[in-house]
Amino acid sequence: MTDGLSEARATVHAMSPDVPAAAQQERVAALRAAVRRAVAAGDRTAARTLRAELRAAEGGERLRAERDRADVRAQAHRALELLGVPAGPKLVGAVHAAFFAAPIPAARLGVLRRAEERAFRKAPNARPFYVCAALTADLLTPARGLLAVSTWPLERRVVGPLSRRTDFLTAAVRVAEHAQHADAAQHLLRRFAAGIPGAAGGAVGTVDPADLIAAARAELDVHATADRRDRARAARRAAGLDAAERLFGSAHDRTGRPHGERR
Amino acid sequence: MTDTAPALDRLRAGAPPRNHDARTIAALTANPGCARRGLLDAAGVDKDAVARHLGFGTPFGQSQFAITRGNAFEAQVKADGCAELLALLRDRLGLDVGEVGYDDLDDEGGREFRHARTRKLLARALDDAQGTLFDHPLLRLDIGGTPAYLEPDVIAFQLAGRFHVVEIKSFAVVDGQAEPEQVAAAARQAAVYVLALRELVADLGHDPQRVSHEVFLVCPENFSNRPSATPLDVRPQLAVLRRQLDRLTRVDAILNGLPPDLSFALDDGLGAAVRTVEARYAPDCAAGCELAYFCRDEARACGATGALGRGVRDDLGGVDTVEAALDLARGAADPPAELAETAALLRTAARLRAEALGGAA
Repeated sequence: MTDGLSEARATVHAMSPDVPAAAQQERVAALRAAVRRAVAAGDRTAARTLRAELRAAEGGERLRAERDRADVRAQAHRALELLGVPAGPKLVGAVHAAFFAAPIPAARLGVLRRAEERAFRKAPNARPFYVCAALTADLLTPARGLLAVSTWPLERRVVGPLSRRTDFLTAAVRVAEHAQHADAAQHLLRRFAAGIPGAAGGAVGTVDPADLIAAARAELDVHATADRRDRARAARRAAGLDAAERLFGSAHDRTGRPHGERR
Repeated sequence: MTDTAPALDRLRAGAPPRNHDARTIAALTANPGCARRGLLDAAGVDKDAVARHLGFGTPFGQSQFAITRGNAFEAQVKADGCAELLALLRDRLGLDVGEVGYDDLDDEGGREFRHARTRKLLARALDDAQGTLFDHPLLRLDIGGTPAYLEPDVIAFQLAGRFHVVEIKSFAVVDGQAEPEQVAAAARQAAVYVLALRELVADLGHDPQRVSHEVFLVCPENFSNRPSATPLDVRPQLAVLRRQLDRLTRVDAILNGLPPDLSFALDDGLGAAVRTVEARYAPDCAAGCELAYFCRDEARACGATGALGRGVRDDLGGVDTVEAALDLARGAADPPAELAETAALLRTAARLRAEALGGAA
C-alpha cells in the first residue's frame, strides 16, 4: 500500500532542500499533511519514511529562520544608516525595499528589537552593533515603534516633542539625496512630500528630489536649534542609565512608573 | 453620588463593573428614555453576558473589515509623527510652521500613571502654550459616580491657546458630503472626549472653554486615501451628553421604584429581574445595545408600538400597544378625551385603507 507515499511525494516533488523560504515552509506543511494522511490510512511504512523526511525538512527550516534573523538585522541596519535617524518599522522596510530591492516585513522588524535586547543582556557588547530603541526624552522609556542603531550618539537616539518632525525632515533629505543618484524611490519621495508642504512642485504625480530637499531644509531650520537643545538635555540624563537601559530604554516598575523618572 | 454606589454594586451581584468607553457613553445618548439601559449601564452590568444568559446573545461589535480599514487609515495619517496631519492642518487652518510638537502619551505604564502623564503634559501646555499635538491622551470621566477611563484614538491639538479634538475616521467624505449617520456617530463620540478634556482642564485650574466645541473630523477625501479635515460643531451633542450624564447620576430615582432585593446575577431569576426595569425599545437599539434582541422579543410579545419604529411610536403618542391602536381604528373602543385626535386619525387611516383595497380586505 504505497499509494499514500507516492501521492505525497508527488505533492512535495520538485522542491529541493535548497529552495527559497516560502517554498520551504510549504514543503514542511505539505509533508506534515502527508504524514497525517498516511497515519489516518494506517500505512505505517509510508508514515515512517515521510516522518524522516519531515524531520530533515524542519531542521533546514530552523537553520533558515536563524539565517533570516541575521538577514533582517543587517537589512534594518543598512536602512537605518541610510536614514540616519530613528524610524518606524514601516519606513525602515520601505527604504530597504526602495534602495536595496528587498522589502523587510514589518512583523519581522517588530520582534527584532526584543531579540536584540535579549542578545545584549545575555552577552553585552558581543556584537559590533545592535538594532535598539529610541528613548523618550521625558521618561527615557523606549519610544513606541521606533528603531535606532546602538552606535549612534545618545543625542540622536533620544526623541523629544520636536524630534519626530526634525527626524522626519532629516530622513526626507537623506532619502532624496540618495534618490538623486539612484533614480529610484519615487514612491518613497511621494510619501515624504505628502507630509511636507511645498515639497511637491513640478509635474503632477512626481516629486523632484531637489524640491523635496529644499522644502525639508527650510523647515528644518525652524526647529533645529530647539530640538538640539531638548535632546542634549535628555541625553545628559540618559547617560546615567545602565548599559542595557541606555540602549533599550528604562523599564516600567510595578506601579507603572518608569525608573528613569526618579533620576 | 456615593449613596447609590452600594445599591448599584448589589445589582451587579458581586461581578466587577464593566468599563465604559466613548462608544458606550455615546450610545447612552442615543436612547435617553430607556430606564433599563440607564440602570444597567450605571451599575456597570455586563449587558452582553446578561443577553447571552437570556438566550439573546448577538455577535455584537464592529465589523472586522471596518476595524482594519480604520486602523490602516489612522496609521497612515499618524505616521512619522503625524506628518500628513500636520501638512493638512497647515493647509486648512494656517497652523504655524513652528508648531510641530508631538507627544505620544501612549506608554506601557499603568492607567493611573498614564493619566497622570496626560495631566502633566497638558498642564504644561496650558501654562505656556508648549506642544501642539498630543496623541492618545488617557482621559477620565465620571459616569454614575464611578470614574471611567477613556482611551481615545484621538489627538488633542492646540491652536492659538485652545484645544481641539481631532477624530480620525475612515468613512469617505465625497464632494464635501459624508453619510449623516456616521458623522452623527463621530460627533457623539467626539463630544465625549471634549467633555472629558474639559473636565481635565477645569481640574487643572483653567477655563474649560479653552477646549473648543469645534472638533476636527479627519476623513479620506473623495475616492482617494488623502486625508481631509472638516470642522464639526458638537455643541448639540455636548448638551445631550451632559443631560444624559446628569440623568445617570440621578439613577437613584429609578432605583427607588424597584424592589430592594433586585439583582442581575446570572441565574434563573435574571429574566424576571431584567423585565422589572422598563425598557423603551426601538429598532435602532440593535445598533448600539447588547440587550436589543431581548427587548425586541419582549416588545413584540406585548405588541408595543415601539417595535414598529420610533416614528410610529411618536405618531401614536399615548397608544402603547398595536392591539389598542387597532381597536381605536375599528371604533371598537371608546377613546378617552386625550386620545380623541389620535383615534380620529386612526379611523381615517382605516377607512382609506378599506377604500383603497376596494372591499378586497
